[in-house]
Amino acid sequence: MIATRIRRAWLLLPGLGWLLLFFAVPLAIIFVVSLGQRDAFGGVSMAAPSLRNYSRALEPDFLPTVANSLRYATLTTIFSILISYPIAYWISRYGGRHRTLLLVLVMLPFWTSWVIRTYAWMIVLRDNGVVNSVLMSLGIIHEPIILLNTDLAVVLGMTYGFLPFAILPLYVSIDRLDPALVAAARDLYANGRSAFIHVTLPLTMPGIIAAALLTFIPAIGDFVTPDLLGGAQTITIAKVIQSLFLSAQDWPYGAALAFLLIVVTIVGTVATLRVLRQEVIG
Amino acid sequence: MKEPDLDATGELELALARYLADERISRRDLLARVAKVGAAAALAPIAAACTSAATAAPATPTSGPTAAGAVPTPVATATPTPLPSPEGQLYIYNWQDYMGTDVVSSFEKKYGVKVTQDFFPDYQTMEAKVGAGGSGYDITFPTSVDIPKWVTRGLLVPLDQSLIPNRANLGPAWQNPGYDPGNKYSMPYMWWTTGVAYDTSKIKEELTSWKALWDPRWKGHISVLDDYREAFGMALIRLGYSVNTTSDKELDAALALLEQQKPLVRTYTVDDIGELSSGDSWVVHAWGSDVHQVLPERPTVKFYTPEEGGIRGSDTMAIISGTKHPIAANLFINYMLDAKISAANTNKIGYMGPNQAAIPYIDPNILSDPAVNPADAVVAKLQELLDLGPDLQKYNDRWLKLRSGA
Repeated sequence: MIATRIRRAWLLLPGLGWLLLFFAVPLAIIFVVSLGQRDAFGGVSMAAPSLRNYSRALEPDFLPTVANSLRYATLTTIFSILISYPIAYWISRYGGRHRTLLLVLVMLPFWTSWVIRTYAWMIVLRDNGVVNSVLMSLGIIHEPIILLNTDLAVVLGMTYGFLPFAILPLYVSIDRLDPALVAAARDLYANGRSAFIHVTLPLTMPGIIAAALLTFIPAIGDFVTPDLLGGAQTITIAKVIQSLFLSAQDWPYGAALAFLLIVVTIVGTVATLRVLRQEVIG
Repeated sequence: MKEPDLDATGELELALARYLADERISRRDLLARVAKVGAAAALAPIAAACTSAATAAPATPTSGPTAAGAVPTPVATATPTPLPSPEGQLYIYNWQDYMGTDVVSSFEKKYGVKVTQDFFPDYQTMEAKVGAGGSGYDITFPTSVDIPKWVTRGLLVPLDQSLIPNRANLGPAWQNPGYDPGNKYSMPYMWWTTGVAYDTSKIKEELTSWKALWDPRWKGHISVLDDYREAFGMALIRLGYSVNTTSDKELDAALALLEQQKPLVRTYTVDDIGELSSGDSWVVHAWGSDVHQVLPERPTVKFYTPEEGGIRGSDTMAIISGTKHPIAANLFINYMLDAKISAANTNKIGYMGPNQAAIPYIDPNILSDPAVNPADAVVAKLQELLDLGPDLQKYNDRWLKLRSGA
């Protein structure tokens, strides 16, 4: 019995090792660095460790930035799920023998680097870009509208980028749903809409939660999209952290902000999961 | 068409580096993706590279009789004492596309040295690598502002002036620069100015002042360099202060001016080329040499050094501490200061070198472009950014406040 357990525990080793080496250790390094100070040359001085960087990070100066990040991540999550759910539903229910092919198509964009795809959006959205040219040639607008470097561009780019992360868990949970349950609801005189609301939606809620987490978490830490598609008015906390590490060369301060962001994300995720598990899944 | 423009590539690589850091990508993926980045960079506006390549006639720079072969002992032409023979290897850490086409290969042939060149994706990466020591590189290209700091940190070794007779080719302004008196640790490589570029097809009046970047009429079509020294420099010049001030009062005034500008700004970016060539921004805080590269594609773009004055910057060549190939390194720096080689570099990359003797060999299109080669009266109004030591933090803090503020 015990021997079997030990043998089984071996299976965990790669995962635990990975977690330790690529999550726990870096996190510990970030925390240690965050206690230091920037030295005159942009290095890290650990001469007098303190929590000073954390008190700096909690100053209200950053509130607008944090609010911006939350807004983008929330909007991205909502749009991703609204778009993904019908797609996943359709593939699962009506995809027939093409389902595998359709899922491969969902993953297809990953074959090209995200940065390149984001650059493509820049070409589409700029003043002389595809969208403005089409709208102008149709006579809908007469002057180009500014699309690139706006909130709209950031949310659009992130939704586009994280959509596959939402489709896949939704597909899995919809696919698992026994159609007989929906049929039973219909037999009990539920119309299509109420069968969906009272049967399909609650039973696929785990998929919706997984999809929300898989879009929200990367969205809150994403700095590539706000950097390339955003502009002067679209600063995010991830972008601030990036510039603290690169241009300001203030690693301790950047590390403090990064550590706070990670902790808040973990705590928020765990709390959300708990609440939802109790309320939704029961 | 092989060479994409400098800054679009830089931005792409920067973005790629960030992306890689964010995504933890496998090595094979990385190679595939880098190949794609190259392809995408080639899509970027690069007409400039074509024209300058076409005119870069003296790009096969054989300043001595080298046809004979790759014998390492050079013919003692200019120097009376025989040169020590260089080591067989040389490692250079450089910006991408920051040299004339055949410069490295002709140096290899002339001195029998095998040169390995690596490219840094952004300046911070280079500084971090060199600063950590043991990078293995012999030569790199620090910005002049950083020379005092690097010397203090012990990152550089003094040059062997006896191996660099071509120093005499430098213009008078570069013989004894403030950042490195007597060129003890560095030789100037290229220099540039910062000013304003605008699209005359969108803006019908003549602009002459920094104030254009604060003009509400161009709201949403103004871009500012994502570089805090340059951005604060611009505001400080408008206020009539030194671009190297460390006075809190003056810096606060500059911050207030930048905050006033922010709602009008479309984007803070170092991709001034992209802003101009895409047409998204009409008034652009820009580096003159970048504007020169945009001209073939967008002839309506015009660059000016604002009447209030502008900023001058320069890159240097320096030898990194711990070099294992000091003779080859000094000889390479000397080679880069050769009149024809320097001109070949300028003709290829569109930046002016500090090399007086090179001027006869430089493309007239470059010499006549005030964005790259401003008149002496304009140069007199330019300020150079200096190392500020710990006071740099004052700029950093305010820049962060500006960028993260509501």
